[in-house]
Amino acid sequence: MLNIICQVSKYLILIFMVLYTVKCFSILLSTDEKDRKKKLNKQIVYVFIIHFLCYLTMYLRQGSVKLLIFYAVQIFVAVIYMVVFHSIYKESSRLLTNNTAFLLLIGYTMLTRLDYSMAIKQFIFATIALFITAFIPYIMSRWKNLRNMGVFYGIAGIFLLLTVFIPGLGYESYGSRNWIKIGSLSLQPMEFVKILFVFFVACMLVRANTLGDIMVNAIISAIFMLVLVLEKDLGAAVIFYITYVCMVYLATSRPIFLIGGIGLGVGAVIAAATLFKDTLFYHVMVRVEAWKDPFKFIDTGGYQVSQSLFAIGTGGYAGTGLYMGKADYIPVSESDFIFSAICEEMGVIFGLCLILVMLSVYISFANIAMKVRQPFYKYAAFGYSILFIIQTLLNLGGVTKFIPSTGVTLPLVSYGVSSVTSTLVIFAIIQGVYVIHNKEVIKHEKEKERLRKQQAALNAGAGIPG
Amino acid sequence: MKNKPILVITYSMIFVFVAMVCYVIYFMEFKAETVIANSRNIRQDSFSENVERGDIITTDGKVIATSKTDEEGNTTRSYPYGNTFAHVTGYDKYGKSGLELEGNFYMLRSHINIFEKTIKELKEEKNRGDNVITTVDYDLQTAAYNAMGYCEGAVIAIEPSTGKIRVMLSKPDYNPNEIDYIWNYMQTEEGQSSTIMLNRATQGLYAPGSTFKVMTMLEYIRENPDTYDNYSYDCYGEEIFTGVSIHCNDDTAHYTESLRDSLAYSCNVSFANIGSELDYGQFRTSMDGMLFNSELPYDGDYVKSSFEIDESSRDDELPQTVIGQGNTQITPLHNAMIMCAIANGGVLMKPYLIERIENDDGGTVQRFKSKSYGELLSSDEAEVLTDYMSSVCEYGTASSYFYGSSYKVAGKTGTAEYDNEGNCNSWFVGFSNPENPDLVVCVVVEDYNTYGVSGTWVAKQVFDAYYSHK
Repeated sequence: MLNIICQVSKYLILIFMVLYTVKCFSILLSTDEKDRKKKLNKQIVYVFIIHFLCYLTMYLRQGSVKLLIFYAVQIFVAVIYMVVFHSIYKESSRLLTNNTAFLLLIGYTMLTRLDYSMAIKQFIFATIALFITAFIPYIMSRWKNLRNMGVFYGIAGIFLLLTVFIPGLGYESYGSRNWIKIGSLSLQPMEFVKILFVFFVACMLVRANTLGDIMVNAIISAIFMLVLVLEKDLGAAVIFYITYVCMVYLATSRPIFLIGGIGLGVGAVIAAATLFKDTLFYHVMVRVEAWKDPFKFIDTGGYQVSQSLFAIGTGGYAGTGLYMGKADYIPVSESDFIFSAICEEMGVIFGLCLILVMLSVYISFANIAMKVRQPFYKYAAFGYSILFIIQTLLNLGGVTKFIPSTGVTLPLVSYGVSSVTSTLVIFAIIQGVYVIHNKEVIKHEKEKERLRKQQAALNAGAGIPG
Repeated sequence: MKNKPILVITYSMIFVFVAMVCYVIYFMEFKAETVIANSRNIRQDSFSENVERGDIITTDGKVIATSKTDEEGNTTRSYPYGNTFAHVTGYDKYGKSGLELEGNFYMLRSHINIFEKTIKELKEEKNRGDNVITTVDYDLQTAAYNAMGYCEGAVIAIEPSTGKIRVMLSKPDYNPNEIDYIWNYMQTEEGQSSTIMLNRATQGLYAPGSTFKVMTMLEYIRENPDTYDNYSYDCYGEEIFTGVSIHCNDDTAHYTESLRDSLAYSCNVSFANIGSELDYGQFRTSMDGMLFNSELPYDGDYVKSSFEIDESSRDDELPQTVIGQGNTQITPLHNAMIMCAIANGGVLMKPYLIERIENDDGGTVQRFKSKSYGELLSSDEAEVLTDYMSSVCEYGTASSYFYGSSYKVAGKTGTAEYDNEGNCNSWFVGFSNPENPDLVVCVVVEDYNTYGVSGTWVAKQVFDAYYSHK
């Protein structure tokens, strides 16, 4: 009987996941306010059903009451977040709050399955971050000086990045020196520096009037990436670089910056790979080899990707069901390889939907960036969209062997205090940009309305027939 | 404001993500089954908890390995035909072997319909695993088994146009139903010297004897493409080449003979003469091209064949080598593969044992297609060799066996001495219906002097069985 309930839940979860994904896109396309509202409400129902069925399955498999308590607390926080955030910021994007809650809940679910204590830790830090980042849109709409602090962002960013080289504070993990340890808390400074970096580039681009300005901007940005390369954090360097190129392309509107940027990037990678293939880029070469044929290097560089593909392939389209697979055997399944764990136990269909949900989040970001008129906010919003989608691409592509693995987390889903916090900050900044934009639009509308009324009154007074 | 850049980037991202989704689906559809069959995938071990191991079935529908689960849920494996298929199925315990090893993953997967699966789950019964349908043919295997009788040796038969292995027999053998007893026996002092578990068809190294003359002839044709047809030699039954004395069988003199006759009568002296004209370096290159000293395109366990002549070889090594004595060693599998390439116009099809995977209802889950390994020799060369080998069975050394058969055969006999006392193994390798080859059979029978059973006779029994039910 228990088996049957779990099996039925598994298929129901898949069905509702597909429905949720479809709604993500239909909301993006919908122009009718009422229709959107209805769909957004439905989406929340789907989130609850999926989350409930997951925890029901896990409870039935494990029989542990603490799972039920954890479930209740999660749902409580999610409801509070979705309701309160939108009632404070009436101009915020509900699609974005839905997706934020959904991705966090999926992450908690899989982490509970893999390692309960990690799930608790992730939940606590994410909840604190949700609370704190809720103030970001408010601060942004009050503090207009944000756009004039380019120098500060640049210096602070590079300084923060360099902290990993301080002996006793920074340490190395998986071949990259990109972690610092404060007490028992491990953090990746890069996760926060990327926020500063986008602000920095946005500030500089707003002010850049001459080619010289762009050059100065480019040199400072290059320092960021150089430090990342020295940390051997190539994944981050790639994310920073692509973000930078895209932002310059947006600011200049000249395709030459995009094409040239991509060409330069590819050239730099090839040059570095040939010059430093035994030193600085050794572990990168290992990963490229492992990408070509992970099974040949299954005992060394190809181990993680091989195990990931075993998990995805064995789980199949429908997955084994939670706790029924061997997701805990995938290396670093709680962070970088969480997608493989999700695919194995919740199904490849669920995984494919998750890929599309991530894409829809990016499209909604890009939509906001397109609407915004103030250059600083526009550049920043676009920069953050690129940060988000490139990181997602590197993660998902890496674990599925679509591209070589680079060791980055899946935003909001993977375990990682710095990762989840910084992603929530980014989401809040995008909400902030959207709120500022919508307020402006409303102000504009009101202004127009006032002018029209004035005109009408004037006309009436003059006796001209309306 | 200018939004074109955002649109450009967004469309690119959509493109990349859709490509990634397609890639994952492609992986699931075409790659996943092979990837997860990897022995390093620890998930395989847990499959048996929910699945009752599937059967192994011959291409003509005979179950040669099956599982029975008793009321207490204990599953036992049984082999209805005992010794006959021992080296095909292998065994399921002690690290597994044969198809039990090669098809392990498939037999532990269940593709029965969801309805049945649900009922089984309600009853808390194990699902029936998928069945492995092997390319091996029951009738042919049994014919080969009976023909070999008490003799030791190996028989392998392959369909040259596809690479499907129809017979794989090795004697001595064992009864896989008694694997526990046999495994204990193998640990004893007596058992350690026993070779019952060695699959001679793929792992037995033998001197090729006269069957190697086909290779010598190929090399001669390659080096003398325009003049080989004019070859002529006077054989007096014995001759000395670079200090090595070469005899024909029973010192029979063949007198004036062409290249065709030399092969048909398996004339040692004439071939030693041919050998003295060959370029060692080119010979080595040719033989490496025929997969000597190299990996074979075969998925199961096998041993590499060896051919040691090269530029630095001494002249006195050659006369023995060209007639298949010397240091050359070959497995029956490899000898059959060479013959397959000749029969298939020079192109070798990769030999394989698993034809398809079926679920318990008989629906095909996965079909294994024939794969071409590539061209070992040109189609012209294959045609000449086939023509000359037809003469072997028409008027040469094998003619007495195939006289009056309903089918034609092209092949080569061989008697390979393995000591100085005249003890020898008897070979036959060849194929039926040379115009449109049906089946390659390769036989080696050990100790021909003791039992008097020749490889050619065993091969004939297999061909007879093949054409009797056709």
